[in-house]
Amino acid sequence: MRKYYLVCYDVSDAKRLRRTHKLMRGFGDPLQYSVFICFLSKVEKVVMLSKLNDEINSREDRVLVVDIGPDSKRTRAAIEYFGIQEKLRDEECFVL
Amino acid sequence: MNDSDLIPVRYLNEYAYCPRLGYLEWVESEFVDNYYTLDGRFKHKRVDAQSDKVTEEGEGDKAHRRSVYLSSKKLGLTGRIDLVEHEGERATPVEYKRGKVPDTPERAYEPELVQVCAQALLLRESGYSCDRGIIYFIDSKTRIEVDIDEALVSRTLSLLESFRELVNKGEIPAPLNNSVKCIGCSLAKICMPDEVRLLSEAVEKDEEDRYRRLVPARDDAVPVYIIGQGSYVRLDGDCITVTSPPPEQERETIRLIDVSQLNVYGNVQITTQALREFCERSIPVSYFSTGGWFYGITHGHTSKNVHLRIAQYDAFRDGERSLEFARKIIQGKIKNCRTIIRRNSTEDETTTLKALAACGKYAVRANSMEELLGIEGNAAHIYFAVLPRLIKPRGTDELEFNFEGRNRRPPLDPVNAMLSFLYAILVKEITVTAYAVGLDPYLGLMHRPRHGKPALALDLMEEMRPIIVDSVVLTMINNGEAAGKDFIKGMGSVHMSDGLRKRAIRAYERRMSTLIKHPKFGYTISYRRVLEVQARLFSRFLMGEISEYPAFCTR
Ligand code: SF4
Repeated sequence: MRKYYLVCYDVSDAKRLRRTHKLMRGFGDPLQYSVFICFLSKVEKVVMLSKLNDEINSREDRVLVVDIGPDSKRTRAAIEYFGIQEKLRDEECFVL
Repeated sequence: MNDSDLIPVRYLNEYAYCPRLGYLEWVESEFVDNYYTLDGRFKHKRVDAQSDKVTEEGEGDKAHRRSVYLSSKKLGLTGRIDLVEHEGERATPVEYKRGKVPDTPERAYEPELVQVCAQALLLRESGYSCDRGIIYFIDSKTRIEVDIDEALVSRTLSLLESFRELVNKGEIPAPLNNSVKCIGCSLAKICMPDEVRLLSEAVEKDEEDRYRRLVPARDDAVPVYIIGQGSYVRLDGDCITVTSPPPEQERETIRLIDVSQLNVYGNVQITTQALREFCERSIPVSYFSTGGWFYGITHGHTSKNVHLRIAQYDAFRDGERSLEFARKIIQGKIKNCRTIIRRNSTEDETTTLKALAACGKYAVRANSMEELLGIEGNAAHIYFAVLPRLIKPRGTDELEFNFEGRNRRPPLDPVNAMLSFLYAILVKEITVTAYAVGLDPYLGLMHRPRHGKPALALDLMEEMRPIIVDSVVLTMINNGEAAGKDFIKGMGSVHMSDGLRKRAIRAYERRMSTLIKHPKFGYTISYRRVLEVQARLFSRFLMGEISEYPAFCTR
């Protein structure tokens, strides 16, 4: 089951910053410049952490991950508190 | 002894955890990543990067070697050691483990103790003296020292011996009985411990509640369908973008973690980079013609379990077993047809239901494939004759939905157009599932191989046709989601409009993600998961673990 995570990062180098942003777009929606909201399973979260770990320089950059909880009224309220349009994906498929 | 006969230490660990797990991974080459395996690998990597923390402080003159590969023909063992600390003739293997130090007297679980012991034995074989090993628990950052004493050595050697016997015998061990080990086991969805036990031996019926659902009820990722002609699919980091053709050139971005499969209709371009990524992530790409004909699929490497495919070919050659299986699927299909009639009829259909029930009985007793196919054709005839009475279109659409039995290529009326469109999608679904499970979708037991037809998918689809596709089509017509104006007629055939196709796909996908209570196992899963469970049960049937294929019948 997926849960919401808030992911924030400080990346000191411009190139790494761009790459981190691009990487993070694969896992969630940007709220602010270096803040993403992600809806992930445990497995997807590990994959994200592992990719982030490969991307950043652990001596100069840092990453913060906050577990906001599973999809629920409470969580939605909490996310709205952060001021985003909630973008909950409850569609069963994409048809384009 | 050949090099390929050497048992890797890692698998000895799995065997010590559960013999069936060791067998599935080592003999049948089944492997699945789950949270624990991925998290373990990730943590491993981080520890490797900062491994000074793992080594003991103040022992400056010890030498360290990372990732040491050792083999011994005498032991019949091979393996990689995360870290070896050595000082002259003395060496100590260090094994990293994700998680915390367990709360047991040994402060480690047996599989890990055995693993470290096996590593120590390998070091001894290479001429080192080695009387202790270390397990480093990454999450508690703690080194646990393991005495390589006689008791542990003899336990390790006897496990190794029994593992080798098992491998030589080539017979899969029974699943553990209601063990908590299964909950964290990465192969639970392949092993199906509770289901196999229910179907393979005399388990009391009232134990049914114990059937645990060891996999998520449905996937987080969902299918993507591209109908728009001239669309372009590109890879963009961990996302794909789909651009519609000029002049609009609208762009949709979809995260790859949200994509379970890609389905394209007609003229859609996909870049090679995107295809490569799909293969790597095991996201199958299925191709349909603009007319909705399912004509091909791209996927990454198939499952390495060749034993399963060999068993499938053997069953194919075994007329009696093929027939046995075919009886089950036809019986299941007829049952499910009856359910559809019962659920949707407004008139008294007792006679038809009786006639179908009779077909079901004959199917069970059919003595040859020809006889069975005859019964099947008869049942289909009865069933499709009732279908018009289950359709209740509104007002002026009555004539449009005049349906007189199945016809295809090309469909001659709206109902047939919808049935053909969605049957093709269901064939694709089961083809994809068959590949994922390691089966050959083109070798059927009832449907004989014909050029380009996924015959096995057609076999496994029989019981699902009525409850998935027919049900969706009836619902769409009866609630007005499909109306006369949604069809295009020409050259004697009938086609669905793009709008209707999109609605039909959505309705189908809603059905696939609907959660239902499994009639046999009692847990709640989606229809898509049911397809996977059926394919896996079929595999267990092929491998001889369960004697009958249990068709899926809703109540
Ligand atoms: S699910 Fe249970 S019985 Fe099956 S392999 Fe895993 S631990 Fe063994």
